[in-house]
Amino acid sequence: MSNMPYPQPGSASDAAFIGIGEIPSGKYPKRGFMAQLVEAAARAIQDSGLQHTDIDQLVLIPNLHGIPDQADLIFSRVAEELGLHGRVKSSMMVHSGGSTSDNATRAAAGLVASGQARNVLVVQSEKWGSADLTEMVDMLSVNGIPREWEGTSGLQFNAIGGLITQRYMHQSGSTPEEMASVCVALREWARLNPNAMWKDKELTVEQVLASKLVSDPIRAIECPYLADGAAAFVMTSATEARRNHDSWVRIGGSGGCVSHYSSGQDAELGELGWPKAAVEAYDAAGWGPQDADLAEVYDSYSAVLTIALEGLGLSKKGEAARDFHAKRFSPGGEFPVNTNGGLLSAGHTGVGGGMALLVEAVRQLLHRAEPERQVAGAERCIVGGSGGSYMDAQIMMLERVEK
Amino acid sequence: MSYIENAEQLTGPFGEALARGELTVQKCNSCGELIMYPKYRCPSCFGNDLDWCAVSGRGQLLTYTVLRFGAPSSFDVEPPYAIGVVRLDEGPQLTGRLHAGADGTWDHYRCDEPVVFEPADAAEVAQRPAAWFAAPRGS
Ligand SMILES: [Zn+2]
Repeated sequence: MSNMPYPQPGSASDAAFIGIGEIPSGKYPKRGFMAQLVEAAARAIQDSGLQHTDIDQLVLIPNLHGIPDQADLIFSRVAEELGLHGRVKSSMMVHSGGSTSDNATRAAAGLVASGQARNVLVVQSEKWGSADLTEMVDMLSVNGIPREWEGTSGLQFNAIGGLITQRYMHQSGSTPEEMASVCVALREWARLNPNAMWKDKELTVEQVLASKLVSDPIRAIECPYLADGAAAFVMTSATEARRNHDSWVRIGGSGGCVSHYSSGQDAELGELGWPKAAVEAYDAAGWGPQDADLAEVYDSYSAVLTIALEGLGLSKKGEAARDFHAKRFSPGGEFPVNTNGGLLSAGHTGVGGGMALLVEAVRQLLHRAEPERQVAGAERCIVGGSGGSYMDAQIMMLERVEK
Repeated sequence: MSYIENAEQLTGPFGEALARGELTVQKCNSCGELIMYPKYRCPSCFGNDLDWCAVSGRGQLLTYTVLRFGAPSSFDVEPPYAIGVVRLDEGPQLTGRLHAGADGTWDHYRCDEPVVFEPADAAEVAQRPAAWFAAPRGS
């Protein structure tokens, strides 16, 4: 077992997810940034059974679409919008790109565990789907990669996806068909999720392979679609949760590894930080991949997901794409993965992509997903997030608790 | 005690060497560590007695991609163009550009195969100071 001082289950320092909120992802140009954020927050608070005035701490997840809205988050506009000014103790932002939801969970749980906060609202809103695409390409190539070193080679985010996918396919011998089947499996899940961007559109391997090459070996349909969206959750202590809830979700343990900043510096782009993070997470939780009922893992490109699933021990090394091709991770398959459709089919809401996966994990463990995609009797979920150029591997071992 | 004070001082020697047709990496005079990309402190011994040294230019192509759409507007190059990650024989690795083959494509590259440093022309290096690599001649 881990020698990390994790809280005793059920204690006042054991943080509990008690509510989630989400609005549909997609292209919604008329839906404003703050309107989305307040709606997701209100849904999460209502789901938690608390009054809005019970929230004493705001942890805000940044947007990537623009500075003015970011400034609104930084300077506590959300406190006023939610009627919490003069009430809430503090409003802060946590940011690590795609793994932000995991680190925001760490922050919120830590605040609860240390007695700094009672009821924490974590909320995120993004307008990527309505943003100017050229501006976003420039933003993600000038920022987020080392300008002096990789900017001069013309790197941008799809190219990073290409570099990782090329390496993964070389090492695993996965075929284009097998890689395409990752997108197809995620689409099958998205078709069951009313909040998913592509819920109304079927996808086949043939369609993926017929789309144009964008950054070899990645094709257009294998690139994540930028989306608008918002999600939120509420955390409190297990002792508070017990008062009003029959079930909640706790963190059995976590693991993490920041393996690089620049994609050119990772010693093994086909593995990233997952193997190291997994050892830590499984040791901390006292359970592992064989005990999980489902997984929700960052998937902005197919190889990003297959590499993670192998590092997490949910697939044998080199076999994850073939497992997707054999429908192992699809609805009705042996092991459910990314039951909301993931970033590739629910929509890439920037930092919110990881948030949507985390919220789906909590939803599944609370048994509040729509019946068609609810994993029956789900008790344990492995959540994985990664940020930037897949600079880090963050793992949250989530457990359902019943009173 | 002197230290590297800004990004220009840190990266300048790399670009100057490229302009001379040389590939260099940072070297720690205290522990001998070869460092890429250059740092303000040696990542191994954390010292700051840092210098530059020339390398053979030989290495292994870890991975590569051909970007066909969506080049950053500041980059000012019409796609397609190829980007590769190279692990130098001396140890450090870096991201660079790949020369197209005689047929104008990058189809001859493979992961884990050898590549050699082959500098771009002076105008290109002046505008975009990147290391360029090619497949070894005769391969
Ligand atoms: Zn040193």
